[in-house]
Amino acid sequence: MAIASDIIRGHTETIILRQLMDKDSYGYEINKSIQEKTQNQYELKEATLYSAFRRLEQAGLIVSYWGDEQTGARRRYYSITGEGRSYYKQTKLDWELAKQLIDQLI
Amino acid sequence: MISKIRAYITRAFADVPKTKKSIELQEELISNLIEKFNDQLKIGKTEEEAYTSVIAGIGDLSELVEGVRERQTLMSQSPEDRKKNALVIAIAVVLYILSPMVLILFAELLSMEIFGLLMMFVLIAIATGMLVYNAASKPKYLREEETLVEEFKEWKAGKDKNQASYAAFKSAFWLIVVAIYLFISFQYGGWAYTWIIFIVASAVQEVVRAIIELRRNHE
Repeated sequence: MAIASDIIRGHTETIILRQLMDKDSYGYEINKSIQEKTQNQYELKEATLYSAFRRLEQAGLIVSYWGDEQTGARRRYYSITGEGRSYYKQTKLDWELAKQLIDQLI
Repeated sequence: MISKIRAYITRAFADVPKTKKSIELQEELISNLIEKFNDQLKIGKTEEEAYTSVIAGIGDLSELVEGVRERQTLMSQSPEDRKKNALVIAIAVVLYILSPMVLILFAELLSMEIFGLLMMFVLIAIATGMLVYNAASKPKYLREEETLVEEFKEWKAGKDKNQASYAAFKSAFWLIVVAIYLFISFQYGGWAYTWIIFIVASAVQEVVRAIIELRRNHE
């Protein structure tokens, strides 16, 4: 699992962008859906997740806004930008190519 | 337990300035962690277990903490800029002082009153232009930290700059008004009526002030 984490780490941003392609979301919800999709095999550390949010936001790939929850604590939602969508598509293509090459090599 | 989670995050950010950015990040982290904590309780963990797993899942916060720590760089003028500013102001003042002398020289020695007057206005215009340029080209106060204090400093810097331009305009304006008043009065002897110019000038000044105020509000 530790080795797999190392391989996955480089794709944290793309994974987050993928979650935001469907709908705007907030930190815990994104992490929960990552957990569900991987049948509890993978989960991001909060530190990794929120650092990635900051980087993505600085790069203009996502924007954030505060939700208007009536009860409980406020949530900061993230929304993917047009730039983010095209970045996601490009990274996905890059990954497909890399995957194919690595399959041929190992 | 929830207050322990809150304390954990607050402690991690303890030595970071309490900027809007840092407080919002803490709020975001805490609200998401509390939600996770509550979900862990729902699947049957004890409070203690839930707390342990939430804290263990956070990981190393140092990158995040460093991200909100901002250098406080005040935009101060470099010595060269300050020297340049002083030079521009000094030349402008010299021009102001010399401008009536030009009028006297041309009027008395060459009896070219109109030309002398024109030259005087040209000098005043150049000097005023220099002062306005000087005030307008001062660096804007750049806000590094999103705190109320910084916003206030920025607001004040903007205000001071406007006021400096306006003060430069005002001083030149009244000099010109007095010059026109004296010139017309001496030239045509209309002392009984020419004082009206001061009332008109005062009105003009108020109009200019209103325009500056409107533009500032517009920004």
